[in-house]
Amino acid sequence: MDRPSVIVTEGLSKHYGAVVALDGLSLEVRRGEVFGLLGPNGSGKTTAIRLLLGMLRATAGWAKVDGLDVWRESLEVRRTVSYLPGEIRMYGSLTGLGVLRLLSGLRGGMGLDRAIAIAERVMDLDLRRRVRTYSTGMKQKLALALAFGDPVDTLILDEPTSALDPSARGIVLDLVRQARSEGQTVIFSGHVLSEVEQVADRVAIMRKGQLMHVENLATGVRLRMVLLRFASNETVSIPPELGLVPREANGPGLLFEHHGSLQGLLSWLASAPVADVAIGVEDLQSLYDRFHGPRAEGEGGIER
Amino acid sequence: MKPFRMLVGKHLHDTRWSLVLSAAALFGLGWLFVFVTALNEQRFLERLSSSDQDVQNQMRWMRNLGVTESPSSASLIVLSWSHPFIFFLISMWAIGRGSAAIAAEIERGTMDLLLSRPIGRGTYLAAQVVVAIAGLVVLPGGLLAGAAFAIRFNTLREPPTVAVLMLPALNLAALGLPIYGYTLFASAFDHVRWRPNSIGAGLTAAGFVAYVVSIVPVLDDWKWRPWFERVSIFKAYNPVELVTTGETLARNAAILGGIGAGCIAAAFVVFAIRDLPANA
Repeated sequence: MDRPSVIVTEGLSKHYGAVVALDGLSLEVRRGEVFGLLGPNGSGKTTAIRLLLGMLRATAGWAKVDGLDVWRESLEVRRTVSYLPGEIRMYGSLTGLGVLRLLSGLRGGMGLDRAIAIAERVMDLDLRRRVRTYSTGMKQKLALALAFGDPVDTLILDEPTSALDPSARGIVLDLVRQARSEGQTVIFSGHVLSEVEQVADRVAIMRKGQLMHVENLATGVRLRMVLLRFASNETVSIPPELGLVPREANGPGLLFEHHGSLQGLLSWLASAPVADVAIGVEDLQSLYDRFHGPRAEGEGGIER
Repeated sequence: MKPFRMLVGKHLHDTRWSLVLSAAALFGLGWLFVFVTALNEQRFLERLSSSDQDVQNQMRWMRNLGVTESPSSASLIVLSWSHPFIFFLISMWAIGRGSAAIAAEIERGTMDLLLSRPIGRGTYLAAQVVVAIAGLVVLPGGLLAGAAFAIRFNTLREPPTVAVLMLPALNLAALGLPIYGYTLFASAFDHVRWRPNSIGAGLTAAGFVAYVVSIVPVLDDWKWRPWFERVSIFKAYNPVELVTTGETLARNAAILGGIGAGCIAAAFVVFAIRDLPANA
């Protein structure tokens, strides 16, 4: 049975004059899942996040977090949500510990011990140093420690690994998995598809302010891809009931999307003049390329 | 600790050096003005008691003109409290805090960190306003403390009490309120600091120029002069009058406080409903 939705948006839009930053975003994020937000710069990810936090007011549509309206009940929403901004700016005159004390204090001091523990033991930060002496990556680690230390139901992480070295990226992914195991909902906005693929249960792909596709990575029910190389150059008739839809020619081979039953496909392959076959599932990169690659699909409605 | 107090503490921490140094400079000025007044009075008394015929003739000539009283020590001290450097320090604080409250925090990107926590926009801005107003009290307080301290170590003809000097100090604090208010109002709309800074500085400079125009004797007959008198907030700062009759205190405080409070209230409204973009 599906878990209840913790974040719901309906027709959420944000316009700046003629510029459409977000166009009719309708989606649901379920409690306890890691939800990936994918898309290039300017696709509307950060706008959507800022709308959820009540920092921006929607031009149209609405959004709710835990049943609370994100604009009218923004304060209550922010009690249940912790946010990691995409670009980390901090008060350089404070020490690392001072930053954690201040920002945890604004949440009543809950989570300070955990944030300190993550910063010192997991992120290996010296909290006695002033933040102005930290590198960009260290500042991001400090902000991550704060976010993962917060006792909240939902984490919104906007490009959480952008300034981190590979080992720290691994730590962040582990922290995301741990958060999920503890029942927290995580929105993970990023550009590194392999990272999102490792931790996300579902991903949303955005383009030019529109939600293009939502893919469920957790269930494993993903589009099957079939690469065929035929034994001869003669035209081979493919029965339509097989559900094979040509995607692209790949040298001597042809790449198909398979929307039919596996049984039928295997039966047909046994008798067809096929010299070679490879069957796999579409990875996140090829899914992403459908909307942002050189042969991207046209604009318009959402696929689910 | 309550979030509001934490924010106040954070803002005080951010501004502690500029506040302490400015207050120290004003303390020094307060001392200096008393010292200079004491010296002037001493020289004046020496001339009065002089047997020199020329000096006696000058004194007789002044009495014939109707000048029968010399100004009080308090008047002479606070006459110097209209020094441009004092206006400069008060204006710098008011404009700096006004532009820092919203536009600078957005420009730096630190607003995201604070307002992604469960802090109401009103609470955030109230903490900023409290610190700014505290600074507007501390700075004239430095001037007053310097004067009060110096009075104990310098000989004045009529040493004023601290209570007498407190009225012009309060008037000076009130002068900072509209400057802070209109800068904060401009800041509430913006996402870069230079613009509210420029607006605040421009309005303050224009007000000061209007004040100068309104008091220059050669422009007495100019038909636009009454307008210049009306538009300058500096006309509502009159320290000498406050230590002599004190009649204008309520009116001046109402004008300065009213403009300041109105602009601050408008800034609260704008800030409550505006978008908070990512840093510029």
